[in-house]
Amino acid sequence: MVFEELHGRMLKSLRFFNILPETRGETHMPKIEVNETLFFSLVGRRYDAAELEKLLPVAKAELDEWNRDEGNEDDRVIKIELNDTNRPDLWSTAGLARALRIYSGDPVPDYPFFSRDGDQREAVFRIVVDASVRKPRPYIAAFVVSGKPITDAMLKDVIQTQEKLAWNFGRKRRTISMGVYRIALIKWPVVYKAVTPDSVSFVPLQSDRSMTLSEILREHPKGREYAFILENEPEHPLLVDSTGAVLSYPPIINSNDLGAVKVGDSDLLVELTGTDLPSVTLAASIIACNFADAGYCIKPIAVDYPFDTDYGRRVVNPHYFQAPVSIDANRIGKLLGKPFTPEKARECLARMGVRSDQHGVFVSASPPEYRNDFLHPVDVVEDVMIGFGMENFEPERPHDFTIGRLTPIELLSRKVKGLLVGMGYQEMIYNYLGSGRDYIERMNVPGDDTIRISNPMSENFEYVRPSILPSLLMSEAVSAKAPYPHRIFEVGKVAYRDVSANYGTTTRQKLGFLASHANADFNEAASHAAALLYYLGEDNAVGDSEDPRFIPGRQAAVLRNGSPIGVFGEMHPRVLDNWGVTMPCIAGEIDIETLLPGASSR
Amino acid sequence: MDIKAMVRTLHPLEVKVLNHYKPGTELSAERLVKELGYIEGQANQALNWLCGKELAVESGRVSKTVYELTPLGKEWFETGTPDERILRHLSEKGAARLPDLAQALAIPPKDVGSAFGILSREGALSMDSGKRAVLDTGWFEAAHSGKEKPRIVLVRDLVTRAAGEKGGILEEAGLSAAERTAMGGIAKKRGSGDAAFRISDRETVMFTLAAGCAEAVAALSDAGITGGEIGAVTQDILEKGSWKDSAFRPYNVKGKPARLELGRRNPYVEFLDSVKDKLASLGFEEFDGSLVETEFWNCDALFMPQFHSARDIHDVYYLAEPERARFIEQPHLDAVAGTHENGGSTQSRGWRYSFDRDFTRRLILRSQGTVLSARQLPTAQVPGKYFGIARCFRYDRVDATHLSDFYQTEGIVLGEDVNLRTLLGFLRMFATEVAGAKEVKYVPGYFPFTEPSVEVHIKHPVLGWFELGGAGIFRPEVTEPLGVKVPVLAWGIGIDRMALMALGLNDLRELFSLDIENVRLRRNMTR
Repeated sequence: MVFEELHGRMLKSLRFFNILPETRGETHMPKIEVNETLFFSLVGRRYDAAELEKLLPVAKAELDEWNRDEGNEDDRVIKIELNDTNRPDLWSTAGLARALRIYSGDPVPDYPFFSRDGDQREAVFRIVVDASVRKPRPYIAAFVVSGKPITDAMLKDVIQTQEKLAWNFGRKRRTISMGVYRIALIKWPVVYKAVTPDSVSFVPLQSDRSMTLSEILREHPKGREYAFILENEPEHPLLVDSTGAVLSYPPIINSNDLGAVKVGDSDLLVELTGTDLPSVTLAASIIACNFADAGYCIKPIAVDYPFDTDYGRRVVNPHYFQAPVSIDANRIGKLLGKPFTPEKARECLARMGVRSDQHGVFVSASPPEYRNDFLHPVDVVEDVMIGFGMENFEPERPHDFTIGRLTPIELLSRKVKGLLVGMGYQEMIYNYLGSGRDYIERMNVPGDDTIRISNPMSENFEYVRPSILPSLLMSEAVSAKAPYPHRIFEVGKVAYRDVSANYGTTTRQKLGFLASHANADFNEAASHAAALLYYLGEDNAVGDSEDPRFIPGRQAAVLRNGSPIGVFGEMHPRVLDNWGVTMPCIAGEIDIETLLPGASSR
Repeated sequence: MDIKAMVRTLHPLEVKVLNHYKPGTELSAERLVKELGYIEGQANQALNWLCGKELAVESGRVSKTVYELTPLGKEWFETGTPDERILRHLSEKGAARLPDLAQALAIPPKDVGSAFGILSREGALSMDSGKRAVLDTGWFEAAHSGKEKPRIVLVRDLVTRAAGEKGGILEEAGLSAAERTAMGGIAKKRGSGDAAFRISDRETVMFTLAAGCAEAVAALSDAGITGGEIGAVTQDILEKGSWKDSAFRPYNVKGKPARLELGRRNPYVEFLDSVKDKLASLGFEEFDGSLVETEFWNCDALFMPQFHSARDIHDVYYLAEPERARFIEQPHLDAVAGTHENGGSTQSRGWRYSFDRDFTRRLILRSQGTVLSARQLPTAQVPGKYFGIARCFRYDRVDATHLSDFYQTEGIVLGEDVNLRTLLGFLRMFATEVAGAKEVKYVPGYFPFTEPSVEVHIKHPVLGWFELGGAGIFRPEVTEPLGVKVPVLAWGIGIDRMALMALGLNDLRELFSLDIENVRLRRNMTR
């Protein structure tokens, strides 16, 4: 048994009750690497693996890998998986460390460099937005990082945070992208504008020659990767300084001159552009808080828009835009199954880094600067839950009485399965996606009613199966060495086009059966079909059939009130030949949903 | 095995040989055919079985030439050889021209010609002036009284003797020199269709009965085994009651029985059924639905923003045709759209974007079982418990841990007073009742449609801790637009991993194996 191996491979990949598909490409649930020394210095204390594993769930994080015996701690990394796709603040060393630090009792940090409504900080520089950029990518937020040179660990972390934010939160740079520059080289004010892609050229990172924007999209690796974002845009965003020198071509690539940052640089410009102002602003706030936690000094930059935004025409970043969310403490108690006083709820929120006020029974929670995930008062409830400690909630035995039952089609299916087993058939279960070759061509059918996927992973999984028979023949095609006779069946779903339905398709529960041996003939198929119908309480009514999958004159339609609900007979040798099957086969398929009481055909 | 036990396993064919021959006798299958009336297969079986019990040993192999009567030879035996028929005709009907002979006897003219040539050389026939063949009666009498038998008589003897033998076989060793010469003219090795005999070389295996046979015979006698015991109990034996005077031959009951191809349920489906039964027994009602769904029910109704990264073209399968449902049911569409845009009447701030009513009709293959829970909400009872095991589709390369389509087990609980602790109670119930776990723990989780969200982990005796499922309380943005005013607990269980454990497999693809033999031989490892 390979349970251990299974453990490692499967636990992460088999997430369920989870809209987020598998993490194969890290598309949805980010996995980050944190530098061990930097991480624990930011947490303020060291943990061993067991302690860390126990604490990480408060940030909905899991320890993925930590090789504590390799190399020295300054170079070692800890791999951590983050499950909350709505908490981008946790996707960095500083952000995760902050959550653990506060949960363990440290005070909620102050970030005095944030501007708030009616309480603006003074900007050290200015970015001017040109009206031309409103269409392709209207928003920009920026600030200065200064105070000490950037370290290797911090630079790596910034790059990682930038990648996770732009990829996971920014939808592959569509809604957010980020750039970092050395202030010393920049002449202010910086201008954010849009230009036609052939009108400007500059030397991008990872290149040694000047290229136009069009050339970058065509020839540069990053250009090719992200060209889709600017598809169909006549003008492309560009960030230039007051002399016209290019800083970057958002969201594609930085300039090799102004936009190259290395270890030891100090006084950096951090800039984020995007299509959604709250997202761009929040991402800027997250990066600013991360630098501040690591001991850097954050200086505000003002952005002047020529058009109205939700935050006005002048926005000084970092900018606090979040609104407090108020909830009745009784509602917290009702949802969590345990009474909470407002004071108790506020204590729990504080452990989550959430500041709050109290108004009678109401608790008003202010999201931290780096979070914007309080959509509804219930989001505050979850923070109370985690702050209180999951382990402190005692499971309660359910007490509402309800009657359990299986669906009528499930019960009928079981009856059908019992009969087929009694007739000597082995039950099979198959996948529902397959190729046009298997479902259509090899079956000798036109395939007009077959549901095709417009974005198949491969042509092997391009169609939804319209019938169980091709699945059964797939088995025959790979089972010539299995001792005969073969008798196999499946009761399962099929789906096919149906113009009368709202979805243009219909899903039905069907029985498919197939027998293969030297003497398989029509009489056997007819006997099995008749026995099945007899014990299901149906008349054995059959009629002529002209199904191209069966031999003409050796097939019959199963009729119910005169309408066909199935077919059985000898499989056509042309079909068998298509599958490379050289043993005679009989088969049948019946729509068992028509046999349910009250079914439409009755 | 001692001798007493051993003799009980002897087949009557062996018993008869032991009782009939003394130790040291040299036997062949042929001899048993001749002397004991066995058919060849029985004789070979008896000798091989005796060898297996060391009651006989192979003592050598003898190669010999045999002549086997062909269908033509058999015809000669019954209706006469061509020579005999020519002579008989001439004797009875008088002299005749060769073409007339050929026609009268229905023998090809060239065969009549060559027969005449040989017979006239031997002096039996001559040709008269009218070109008619004439019988030489003097030769005929002289030939029969002489010492040397003429060829025609030798041939008749050979055919007659062969017809009397089992299988129509004459051994070369049993023929005289003259007979061998005569045989040479009527036997062929190949193309024997037009010859009376087929020549073949046969190898005979010789066996010698071992000394131990004496002991075996004594033991047989002591045990009263005669070889006449009843084998198969037939209808005839029962009707006549003949079993009353006889003993039953004991069979070897430890031998490997023949394999049976039986009808059988699929272990994976049986496992899924057992989970359904268990959930029904816990008061859950099953739900089911269409494999094709809309963006609306698959994601929008679950309050996943339309720009959510899990809703990419690389995550969900789209239908090529038709691309969209004709309509989305009202008032759900308006209620859900409003909730996305600004929270509607749910106290939520919403996702703050413009809800795309065209996109929401996009047809997809259902990507998560939660779609069934969403669809159940508008008609769900309070209190109510529902579950479904739903086939879902994901945009993934197929390998040991990923399938194009697979099952998800999901459910919901509606009740005025259900809460986080009730949810933990249900999760504990699933852990113990469905997964058979003894230790359970819960950690905060994240799912876009529940708040709060938890993950349940259980301890497996071999695997250690692993995630059994995810759960939470549906966000009000999910329940309220669909008309539900009470809290709704939502949960899911990782059914595939449990199935692999139950079946002792480690590759998801094996759950849906095409291989008939693989499925037929698979055993359910649980209980």
